[in-house]
Amino acid sequence: MIKVERLKKSFGDLEVLKEISVEIKPQEVVVVIGPSGSGKSTFLRCLNLLESITGGKVMIKDQDLTAKGTNINQVRTNVGMVFQQFNLFPHKTVLENIMMSPMKVRKWQRKQAEEKGLALLRKVGLYEKAHVYPDSLSGGQKQRVAIARALAMEPEIMLFDEPTSALDPEMVGEVLEVMKDLAKEGMTMVVVTHEMGFAKEVGDRVLFMDGGYIVEENVPIALFDNPQQERTKAFLSKVL
Amino acid sequence: MGVFSIEIVREYLPFFLKGAMVTVGASLAGILIGSILGLFMGIGRISKSWWIRYPFIWYINAFRGTPLFVQILLIHFGLIPLIMESVNPLVSLIVTLSLNATAYIAEIFRAGIQSIDRGQMEAARSLGMTHVQAMRYVILPQAFKRMIPPLGNEFIVLLKDSSLGAIIAAPELMYWGRAAQGQYYRVWEPYLTVAIIYLILTLSLTYLLNYIERRLDTA
Repeated sequence: MIKVERLKKSFGDLEVLKEISVEIKPQEVVVVIGPSGSGKSTFLRCLNLLESITGGKVMIKDQDLTAKGTNINQVRTNVGMVFQQFNLFPHKTVLENIMMSPMKVRKWQRKQAEEKGLALLRKVGLYEKAHVYPDSLSGGQKQRVAIARALAMEPEIMLFDEPTSALDPEMVGEVLEVMKDLAKEGMTMVVVTHEMGFAKEVGDRVLFMDGGYIVEENVPIALFDNPQQERTKAFLSKVL
Repeated sequence: MGVFSIEIVREYLPFFLKGAMVTVGASLAGILIGSILGLFMGIGRISKSWWIRYPFIWYINAFRGTPLFVQILLIHFGLIPLIMESVNPLVSLIVTLSLNATAYIAEIFRAGIQSIDRGQMEAARSLGMTHVQAMRYVILPQAFKRMIPPLGNEFIVLLKDSSLGAIIAAPELMYWGRAAQGQYYRVWEPYLTVAIIYLILTLSLTYLLNYIERRLDTA
């Protein structure tokens, strides 16, 4: 589904991703953990080219993102993304937030987009909030709307960039619940998070990143209970 | 010099009102053309390609960095005769006001666009929108609200600056004020009347802009 080959990313002289290679299968849930500054968010943002790539290759469903003739907008419709800061559109109601892309990008009729939007709101438990503005929602509600908005494009892949890091602790659970449901339905997911519990429970595989490399990767139980690398051990001893 | 002569005001009032119409017309034209050109220039001004960005930056530098008075003379006596057969001071005035306002409005648009959080563009692009779609449906509607107060300022300045058209004999409000002064060698009657008419125009514009701002605020 996603194939990353020797991916490199620099900001000026700063080499953030040194050489990343990884393959993610359909329906797999991959959790990326690591200390801040390890490059995990940058890695995620390279998967839909929100960051330009300095070297190497990213393939989504066998389509090379940086190849000539690749329509990146087309690729992005198949790769949803959820941000730490939600990034809802404040000038639109909750429902309009969700309907915008299907209507403008997929050229759906209003009625079809509205039905899809309301169905998604029901799914994330916010049906009654359809016509309010994002301003009046709590952080957890905003993030659930953001997930619904991404799902409206019916993507096959979802990227989560620290989706619960900006939330008050009592709201983390409601967002993780929605994500768990998605995983159960077979969504291919890449999740950058500090929620080790989520990684253990939902992840099929955990990548530990540090210093621009994937230092260690394994199924959650093995990585958490029996880390092989010193850096992994050091990190886990601090966060667990 | 004697008491205030209401007779002079009465005699010239029709001309002042006609001049006020010209002032309003030229200002509206300047605002309209300046806003359209300013939008494109404001967007071009933040382009990633230097060969788009730099000409705009220098256009803005030139028009913000030189007096409008100088611009109006250069355009009326220099530029317009180069491109048009017959020279019309009103056309020169509108062209000057438009080109000048473009520079200021471009900066207002740029600041408005850049004041919107980067995450908005990223969210829009991550949903598959093109850059143009993201600008049109996500960035500009939000930026526009924040641009209203500085735009209002610019419109008021522009309306007052149109009085410089008098120097090239564009028949706007100040032109008639000078005409009355020239005929009777009186200062208070023509200039005070003209000042009050300008004040009425700018206050009306202020109320209109406040109204628009309130309307957009609740939307």
